[in-house]
Amino acid sequence: MATTSRALEVTIISGEGLRVDRRRPVKKNAFVVVRTNSQNSRSTKADFDGGSFPVWNEKLVVDMPAHTRFLTVEVRCKVNSGVKVVGTAKIPASDFVGGYFPPNYLHFLSYRLRDSGGERNGIINLSVRVKGTENVIGAATCAAAAASSSRPWVGGSTVVGKVSGGIVTGVPVWMA
Amino acid sequence: MGACCSDVRGGQQAVGGGAQQRSQATSNAAAAAGGGGGGTGPNDAVDFFYRTKGVQALFTQIELSLSASKLLDRDIISKSDPMAVIYAKKRDGSLEELGRTEVIMNCLDPVWIEKINVAYQFEIVQPLIFHVYDVDTSYHKLPAKMLKLKDQEFLGEASCVLSEIVTKQNRSLTLKLHNKKGQVGLRNLGTITVHAEETIASRNAVEIAFRCSHLDNKDLFSKSDPFLRISRIVESGGSVPICKTEVVNNNLNPIWKPLTLTMQQFGSKDNPLILECFDFNSSGNHVLIGKIQKSIVDLEKLHKEKIGANFVLPSSRHHTHEKVLKGQLFVDHFSERKLYSFLDYISSGFELNFMVAVDFTASNGNPHSRDSLHYIDPTGRLNAYQQAIMEVGEVIQFYDSDRRFPAWGFGGRTYEGSVSHCFNLNGSAGSFEVEGVEGIMAAYASALRSVTLAGPTLFGQVINTAADIAGHSISCTNSKYFVLLIITDGVLTDLEETKNALVRASDLPLSVLIVGVGGADFKQMEILDADNGERLESSTGRIATRDIVQFVPMREVHGGQISIVQALLEELPGQFLTYMRTRDIKPQTATTPASAPPQDHPYVV
Repeated sequence: MATTSRALEVTIISGEGLRVDRRRPVKKNAFVVVRTNSQNSRSTKADFDGGSFPVWNEKLVVDMPAHTRFLTVEVRCKVNSGVKVVGTAKIPASDFVGGYFPPNYLHFLSYRLRDSGGERNGIINLSVRVKGTENVIGAATCAAAAASSSRPWVGGSTVVGKVSGGIVTGVPVWMA
Repeated sequence: MGACCSDVRGGQQAVGGGAQQRSQATSNAAAAAGGGGGGTGPNDAVDFFYRTKGVQALFTQIELSLSASKLLDRDIISKSDPMAVIYAKKRDGSLEELGRTEVIMNCLDPVWIEKINVAYQFEIVQPLIFHVYDVDTSYHKLPAKMLKLKDQEFLGEASCVLSEIVTKQNRSLTLKLHNKKGQVGLRNLGTITVHAEETIASRNAVEIAFRCSHLDNKDLFSKSDPFLRISRIVESGGSVPICKTEVVNNNLNPIWKPLTLTMQQFGSKDNPLILECFDFNSSGNHVLIGKIQKSIVDLEKLHKEKIGANFVLPSSRHHTHEKVLKGQLFVDHFSERKLYSFLDYISSGFELNFMVAVDFTASNGNPHSRDSLHYIDPTGRLNAYQQAIMEVGEVIQFYDSDRRFPAWGFGGRTYEGSVSHCFNLNGSAGSFEVEGVEGIMAAYASALRSVTLAGPTLFGQVINTAADIAGHSISCTNSKYFVLLIITDGVLTDLEETKNALVRASDLPLSVLIVGVGGADFKQMEILDADNGERLESSTGRIATRDIVQFVPMREVHGGQISIVQALLEELPGQFLTYMRTRDIKPQTATTPASAPPQDHPYVV
């Protein structure tokens, strides 16, 4: 597993069904803050007319230090008195890092947002790409795949079961 | 009770310019990013299957445009917000929804833009039922598909037979609306007009961005709120609206978001299109600011030469005289796109790889008993599973080039003694593949002899195994798509685990087709096949990127309601295309080599 810090290219696409105070739909000026830890965070511009179904389509690049377990995505909205947190989603790094995905694979992900009280508050749609760095599976495994004709993979699985937030550990076993 | 205030934001939305197929479920991450998903219209996967067997399609694809007049006014302060739904009446009297239009705000004489596609089959009678509803809830940003009809106000019903519309000279039929009991009743409920046109399956699309300058001011205290509506002239002389832009408030020099128009919508590039600019009024009475007649070719010229075209306003007094206005229309962006179809990908070398999983749970019944779904009849009559494998196999063998299918069983107790939720059907420890449909049948028969039916019914492990295979293949190539067929007798024991597995697999090149045999109540399966628009949510808070499930009850196939080919392949092209388009993966042409190592078997189309 690579131990260097990596760059995450996160494109915040859109949000659905956002509410303020559990009742009123968000009127406008919702924006998203993405962070991997307290030092690495980025935010999008505010969407001024999307209301509770805002569309941002904005790409943010945020650093992900080694052993980061979550990518936190928070939707906030500007109100008269300041900024309110609409909802948060914690995305386990294992959902887009490691395993069998090739490097630079574009993951399209969607998550349930929960407000400060833990209640469900809408959905966030985004895409994530891990920039650079090598991955567990390299060119060698593809060559082996070609050699065994139509059977690219036989053996134990890597990403199974409930994700508790840890980065995936596991290497597929090859039985040629 | 009608709503006091109609959904103004809903009424101001753009309609028809997104080049998206209505059959797609709610906007999801993948579709939002790709800006176009779903199928390309008539199911070309099914057509192709029939055509290669020499069965010419005995139907043509028809597009229905709807309009209504003198609708009942249900809302108190404003007018009704009507939406129309078309149903096909099946042989047993039940109604199957074919499609719905968008919601038009505050209008008792709506002309809907969204079209509904119907296959016009020459040799059977196709009764259609039309329902018009007054939409009560806020529909801004909510796809029309998600509106629950029973919560809306019913405005009227009409019925006819499809051939009645198609055989009329102007292809239009006007019907009186009546209430559900069939009587016209004391109150005049208005009329609905249906217009039919053949659809042209074409993969050409045009993306245009419009802008205007110096528009006339039609509002008293502020400026106009302009939007554009584009209509196509039809043979009979009238015009049919194909799309409208969103409304830009308070602006006499508006810039609208780009529209994508498919050739299906504009006909041909030389077809004259009428572009009308209206001032939006929340009362529903939009005032015409001006109109222009241009074809797609003319619009391309406007873009190239960077000039504007003046709007004209037909004068009410002198019918031949049109007043030329100062307002001008500009085309800021014009580009052509190709929306590749499912067959474009398949014929260019993209492979579909099928995998099969068979249910070995005890709910099927003891295989030695004649009532069991797994009973092997010595006279050779096929049981429900064998029938399903044979019928489904014919389709999958056609699209899977190498005829090697991973085959598993689940819910059975193998010779090892413990219950397995994913064991190789061929009984071998290492390899899970069988050769051809006959290989699946042989492995199934031999597994029945050595495996004891147990339970519970869990799909999770099979789905995870299939997802692992799909996931591993994307490291090497992006031209393989996997389809997992689960043949089951019914009721899932652990819906949560299955949902989790499906959500995890939703971003992979994988579709899951669940075939239901036997007489069980398959209501749960309909939750998994998220056709009602509800996206699947896992227990960790992750939501499915796209709908990858399609459910087919064999009971309906054998009842003659649908053909197995149609049922199986209905959503597959759409799910496949959504995956490819959002990642901008194009069909491989002769010049661009595949990203995979060269395939060692010739692809037979």
